[in-house]
Amino acid sequence: MNLVKKLALMSSAAFLLSVSVQAHEAAEHMKDAQSPDCAAMAEMDHEKMDMNDPVMAAMMKQCMASDAHGEVAAGDAHGEHDDAAHAEHSHEAATPVTAAVLEEVHQH
Amino acid sequence: MRTGILIALVLVGTGFFIFSGLYPMGADRPHYRVTTWMLETLRERSIARASSDIQVPKDLDSPERLLSGGADYNDMCAQCHLSPGVESSDLSEGLYPAPPNLNKQLIADSNQALARSFWIIKHGIKASGMPAWGAGHDDERIWSMVAFMQRLADLSPTQYQILTARGAAH
Repeated sequence: MNLVKKLALMSSAAFLLSVSVQAHEAAEHMKDAQSPDCAAMAEMDHEKMDMNDPVMAAMMKQCMASDAHGEVAAGDAHGEHDDAAHAEHSHEAATPVTAAVLEEVHQH
Repeated sequence: MRTGILIALVLVGTGFFIFSGLYPMGADRPHYRVTTWMLETLRERSIARASSDIQVPKDLDSPERLLSGGADYNDMCAQCHLSPGVESSDLSEGLYPAPPNLNKQLIADSNQALARSFWIIKHGIKASGMPAWGAGHDDERIWSMVAFMQRLADLSPTQYQILTARGAAH
């Protein structure tokens, strides 16, 4: 086997290895990604919500991040994107669902 | 002399059994109790020794870890170890030994139990169907899976869905 064939074989093996490693990256799972059903949070018993509970904090974080992402995407589509406004949104509930849940939780 | 003959007979008998094909290899034929005991004891002693020096991170209860670990659990573990509201799957019923239902099995809040879970996810278990996820996932990502699994048994199907989704909200 000459040198060119050996190099071609090694390159193919390296390529296949790199493809298999990439398959484990989180971004690779995005193709079939589900959306969080944040509307369901509005139907939960808010009196039992404890914002100090990591599970509840993670749910709020997930829905707020998704809300902000959705708004930014919509803003971009209409040419209204503003970095300062985006930064502000990332710390506040951007949709009625998360805003209502946050407000109710804070009242308790 | 007699001992030598006895050892030779055991070796020949063992060799005959191995090459005869008489051993029932199917996953639908359970082990004898004594075999199960030996394998489980071997497994638990090995994991306990290998995981004894693992340091558990102090931030396992952070929301960021739950979100990262939840999405990975849903993609890589839920088909065998199930999720809230799911009682069985083809894999959970077909694998032998049966994968533990992590939806009903709490991980004790002890360094030993957490280190054990981390080690199993990272290194896998031979001949059980449990892969070594450490080959393609760094330690931080695996610890996040442990963090999520620690809370899994308490989650409702709705909480599980929100925590494990990777896409944008609707």
